[in-house]
Amino acid sequence: MRVSSTPSSQWTALFVLVSTLCTLFTPAVSVKYENFKTCDQAGFCKRNRAYADTAAATSSWKAPYALTSDSLSWKNGQLKGTILKTINTNGETVRLPITISFLESGSARVTIDEEKRQKGDIELRHNSIARKERYNEVEDWTIVGGLGLSKSAAESREAEKTTVTYGPEGKFEAVVTFAPFSVDFKRDHVTQIKFNDRGLLNMEHWRPKIEKPVPEKKEGEEETPAPEVPSGEDESTWWDESYGGSTDSKPKGPESVSLDITFSGYDHVFGIPEHAGPLSLRETRGGTGAHTDPYRLYNADVFEYIMDSPMTLYGAIPFMQAHRKDSTVGVFWMNAAETWIDIIKEKEAHNPLSLGIGSATDTKTHWFSESGLIDVFVFLGPTPKDVTKAYGELTGYTQLPQEFAIAYHQCRWNYNSDEDVKDVDRKMSKHQIPYDVIWLDIEYTDDKQYFTWDPLTFPNPIGMLEQLDKSDRKLVAIIDPHIKNKDGYQVVKELKEKDLAVHNKDGNIYEGWCWPGSSHWVDCFNPEAIKWWVGLFKYSAFKSLPNLFIWNDMNEPSVFNGPETTMPKDNLHHGNWEHRDVHNVNGLTFVNATYQAMLERKKGELRRPFVLTRSYYAGSQRMGAMWTGDNQANWDHLAAGFPMIINNGIAGFPFAGADVGGFFGNPEKDLLARWYQAGAFYPFFRGHAHIDTRRREPYLVGDPYMGIITQALRLRYALLPAWYTAFHEASVDGTPILRPHYFMYPSDEAGFAIDDQFFVGSTGLLAKPVVTEGATSVDIYIPDNELYYDYFDFTKYEGQGHKTVQAPLEKIPLLMQGGHIIPRKDRPRRSSGLMKWDPYTLVIVIGKDGTASGELYVDDGETFDYESGAYIRRAFEYKDGVLESRNLGTKGKLTDKYVKTMKNVKVERVIVVGAPKAWEGKSSVKAAGKDAALEFHAEEAGKAAWAVVRRPQVAIGEDWKIGF
Amino acid sequence: MGRIEALVLLSTLTTSVLAAGSTRPRGVGPEFAKFYKSSDSFTCISNPSITLSPSQINDDYCDCPDGSDEPGTSACTYISTLSPPQPLTGSAPNSSVALPGFYCKNKGHLPSYIPHMYVNDGVCDYELCCDGSDEWEGVGGTKCEDKCKEIGKEWRKLDEIRQKSARAALKKKDELVKEAGELRFGVEKSIANLLVEIKTQEVMAAELQKVYEEAERRERGKVVKSPGKGSKVTILAGLAKTRVEELRNALTGVVSKRDALKEKVAKLEAILSTFKEEYNPNFNDEGVKRAVQSWENYAANKGSDADESAEDRDIESISKPDSESEGINWAEWETADEESDVEALYKIEEYLPASLRTWVHQKITDLRIMLIENGILADNANSGSESKTVTDARNSYNTVNDDLGIKKSSLADLQGDLTKDYGTDDIFRALKNTCVSKDSGEYEYELCWLDKTTQKSKKGGGNTGMGNFVRFDKLYVDEEVGADGKGLGQGERFVLMYENGQGCWNGPNRQTTVVLACAEKDEIWKVQEQEKCKYRMDVGSPTVCEKEVKVETANKDEL
Repeated sequence: MRVSSTPSSQWTALFVLVSTLCTLFTPAVSVKYENFKTCDQAGFCKRNRAYADTAAATSSWKAPYALTSDSLSWKNGQLKGTILKTINTNGETVRLPITISFLESGSARVTIDEEKRQKGDIELRHNSIARKERYNEVEDWTIVGGLGLSKSAAESREAEKTTVTYGPEGKFEAVVTFAPFSVDFKRDHVTQIKFNDRGLLNMEHWRPKIEKPVPEKKEGEEETPAPEVPSGEDESTWWDESYGGSTDSKPKGPESVSLDITFSGYDHVFGIPEHAGPLSLRETRGGTGAHTDPYRLYNADVFEYIMDSPMTLYGAIPFMQAHRKDSTVGVFWMNAAETWIDIIKEKEAHNPLSLGIGSATDTKTHWFSESGLIDVFVFLGPTPKDVTKAYGELTGYTQLPQEFAIAYHQCRWNYNSDEDVKDVDRKMSKHQIPYDVIWLDIEYTDDKQYFTWDPLTFPNPIGMLEQLDKSDRKLVAIIDPHIKNKDGYQVVKELKEKDLAVHNKDGNIYEGWCWPGSSHWVDCFNPEAIKWWVGLFKYSAFKSLPNLFIWNDMNEPSVFNGPETTMPKDNLHHGNWEHRDVHNVNGLTFVNATYQAMLERKKGELRRPFVLTRSYYAGSQRMGAMWTGDNQANWDHLAAGFPMIINNGIAGFPFAGADVGGFFGNPEKDLLARWYQAGAFYPFFRGHAHIDTRRREPYLVGDPYMGIITQALRLRYALLPAWYTAFHEASVDGTPILRPHYFMYPSDEAGFAIDDQFFVGSTGLLAKPVVTEGATSVDIYIPDNELYYDYFDFTKYEGQGHKTVQAPLEKIPLLMQGGHIIPRKDRPRRSSGLMKWDPYTLVIVIGKDGTASGELYVDDGETFDYESGAYIRRAFEYKDGVLESRNLGTKGKLTDKYVKTMKNVKVERVIVVGAPKAWEGKSSVKAAGKDAALEFHAEEAGKAAWAVVRRPQVAIGEDWKIGF
Repeated sequence: MGRIEALVLLSTLTTSVLAAGSTRPRGVGPEFAKFYKSSDSFTCISNPSITLSPSQINDDYCDCPDGSDEPGTSACTYISTLSPPQPLTGSAPNSSVALPGFYCKNKGHLPSYIPHMYVNDGVCDYELCCDGSDEWEGVGGTKCEDKCKEIGKEWRKLDEIRQKSARAALKKKDELVKEAGELRFGVEKSIANLLVEIKTQEVMAAELQKVYEEAERRERGKVVKSPGKGSKVTILAGLAKTRVEELRNALTGVVSKRDALKEKVAKLEAILSTFKEEYNPNFNDEGVKRAVQSWENYAANKGSDADESAEDRDIESISKPDSESEGINWAEWETADEESDVEALYKIEEYLPASLRTWVHQKITDLRIMLIENGILADNANSGSESKTVTDARNSYNTVNDDLGIKKSSLADLQGDLTKDYGTDDIFRALKNTCVSKDSGEYEYELCWLDKTTQKSKKGGGNTGMGNFVRFDKLYVDEEVGADGKGLGQGERFVLMYENGQGCWNGPNRQTTVVLACAEKDEIWKVQEQEKCKYRMDVGSPTVCEKEVKVETANKDEL
């Protein structure tokens, strides 16, 4: 069955059909979806699932892992000991050192290693030169803080177990049972998370390969299966594994790690991006609507990915949150090897004693990675914000991007020449469509050699950049990790001479195929490679101007002729770590190198880099934005965008977006218009198109679509102050930018699975962009009894539940929740940079209790001066008829200077939505002591009363009051 | 601000109205000055019911739903159908604005309007506002010095060139029209000449035909053919042999052609199967995948081809030349048999005395012709060779008749050419069979008037046909005109459509829309691939110049 050749629209159906058939009848037959493995095709996945099945089927199952109590020591908030794994009936054991760290932040970390490998006391097959240890450097790339050990944590040991009390006010407990080893994490004495509850802990210890004699075949006799190994283990997937014509030499044999993690009483789990599917993760074994395969994390260039699938995509963040009414907890499985996660939900908790909570559902997860350590962080909440904050303390919060980066990006594969770029730039201006960035895909290069310009089509890159700079616009050019293997190309010459590329299993420079044909891959795990890479971006090396920024694509890495379109797992990186060990963090290391390079391209020109990446891992949020890869121009893909972006956001990487318009295929005009309306709510907002598609720059689509699209774009631009404030918030405490209902209303069970509407930052803006064809209205779920107003005409909505909001093609369903103050800039300009000096509009949306509050963060939008106080951070509060602006910032050495430069930036108007009736007839207010005119509009036809203060002329960076 | 262009004509008004300009509020153009005269109050231009105090003019706050109270600031820019709707400034949100933009006086150059969006945004938009007055507030320390003197000077210089060029273009056009007229006249003259010649020749042909027919009539009457000795069988054999020989040659020809094609197919199949093996599904090209799939289908069905070896053997034996041992032994058939008695009868004349012979011969011939003409006797005139008289008569007739045919067809061609659409004034007749080309970096493009468009990549590969001329058309465009006067500008433009060019890999046949705008000489300005394999060529040409050449103003040029 040649699935790969059917029209894409039928993909999903076919794939479902094929996978169903295969699982029903012939589990051994490969489900060939392009080139990507199913669990059955990945040896360790199959083994660990089988292990789980055996455990479940064995009534007396007892995990063969025991923590020896005499090995146990407690010091400075850390519990150290050794787990003995019994490996055969003779009682032989292997030693697995374990460390449980209790962190000051209230997070806990469980790390299990293998002693023999720590000591290098093993032999590798095939004369491999790979490292013998289990990979223990993920944290060097991922963790940037929060590892300080708890001073208050206390241990109390008993014969069978030990209990550590830790966390805020000692509310958390970790109960470590010795044999079989397990850990219960409790909050307020109630179990939240259990490790090895089901006894699926499995660390495949190193073992030598014992060559078994092949029994001689007697003539005429049928082949008999090889005699069973004494242990009864199936060795078939232990050693060299082949897939899709390439063989993995597996010099260390089987080495997977696995652990079951139960979330007691939790019905929903979120996170573990990147997958195309709903926010609330589905079950993967049995159950209605369950997937058949576990969720997979193995960064890959998946071409034409399908909807609602646990299949792997381009990025991996092994961070999962579990949520039930009023409680959120989470785990971060810090392992960069290929990882699969099985999820089942069981209605009845098997330990009724652990209950005492509303829900009777346990979500049981089973994590397995091909190699590396078991290294898991546990977050006990209790709020979603606590969990994302704690996770962010470890892996870093999202970068505060340059302000242009959150405006609109105009991309296409490809703008064909510098003249083409300039032409698009002129036409956007001419049609008064704002945009900040135009992008160049791979075709700008001279023969796919990065850091060069095609001399025929881009003869004058500087002139092009200068024209863009005139209206403060930027260019983003693509630079990928594959370096063309071609004589006379200086970059590859240096790469080879300095030996900075990834090696193959034999230690030679690895050669594979990508866009340029034969290529080598820069190994950004190597500090020397980073140093070299940084040099390539100097203006002297890469002809350009400061308004050029970078897009890192294909960094999974994508290798066209490699297994699963990526590198062989036995390739070797810096320090002789196998690619298998580092695969999922590989993309991050490349972006990191580019980020370092873009920090200071010229001495003294220190600015916030902007790098877009396709591949990512936990921690990538510190370096730039991601997008959801190569989607398609159809309504399903439009709908898939928000759950993916929201999921990424709660997993610590909120600077996310999907290609507006859909990458493959030509969108109908209504789809394109709706996609721009949706895109106006993507944290990363970029229109993009495949080289084979028709041109679709907004000014080409004709009426009324151009107008509709421009309105969406201008809406985004008007709200940039609010978006930037939300980004700032995310950058200091990890709060997502698009906030799902469970995050905002953790008690409202009806909202837990909602992933097609969301709140924008702390603004109270509740959006549900239309993602279905032909819709003229949507049902918005209102989670509380606050007042809500239509953003565009102030129509009132009140009362919890679903409300129908009209949504003809030109309208975005967008509500303002009462109780908020939203900062805007209403004057359209050519780019966000040119709005810098424009005055603000403040929209006070009065809540039921007659109050409202909001926040604004402003800085220069490009440098790091904000770290020295060069920013404005205000709290706006409306209460008892007075609007007050208060400072929230901390003074630094550049504060005064910055505020002074901003002294002429004022508030031009204050709009009060839901204005009190009493204001009728009122014609002025006192703004900072002076009179300002007030205009009142009474309530009519379901639309709220509103008022507007004319020219209060108060400066945005100063303290003031407006009395109504 | 789609109305900027409306102000193009402003340049003509300027000097006269400018005198009163000094008291106008910032940003107000002279033609709107009248609305801002009162010192007591201001009435919104399109909303006369709204009256404001003069202090509200240019106070950086938008009070009029038409934006007319803020001619000199950017405060009213949000009033636009392109902005998200808001209930602001009264009950008529997003109504259109009254002013075309911010008026830059541009002393020393032409005044112009700049979109209010560009006012006080920190950018000196000298292209539109050479006096820098758009940045009067100096936001963020922006300073825009007045550059009108130099810009104006440069503009006038260029304008002079443009005007000159425009005049030259018109002249060139007139020449082309004249040339086209001459060419047309030439065609008409040729037609007239041809008509005369044809008439004469028709007469001649008719006469010759008569002569020929008479000769033939006589020939038919001859009972005995001169060289034709031998029986019907031998004649048939002779004919058959020739025929067989022809067929054999044709067969060998076809077979060798087939073999060559077979070889080609094999080569192509080899290419395709290598392609199938080596193509990379990650190049993300649906077309490639479709091609691979079609190839697989094709390859799967290919096995059903019948075994051709038997057939080939037959063909081989058939194509061997005939000889005594193989095929037909023609010699056997070609030898003449004994004359039959019947034949001898016809030779009766030979036994008669000469005097009688002529008379008898005459009578028999007449009788025979009569019999033939009445269908009683078979006409065997063609069965043998004919006399020289007949041949000569026929040849003379044919020569004249063929020539007549040629003349008639040239006449049809010429008449067709005369009715063919060569555009207004027949102007493209002058450009027939000429081409222009452009080196545009990666490609060299060629436009052959009313013929075809082609593309040649510098990165290798041959010429690619981008379309063949099919028709004239019109297209509304809205493009810039550069300082050098190159560019389509705005309005309806004359278009040449070229279609059915070379097919695209994974796309349609290439086509080119050639859009013309007035220029002094034929020149391809720009080629864009607007969508996959659909090109647009912006071409300057005197052919489309109009009598009233618009004087392009600076603001139009740059917007």
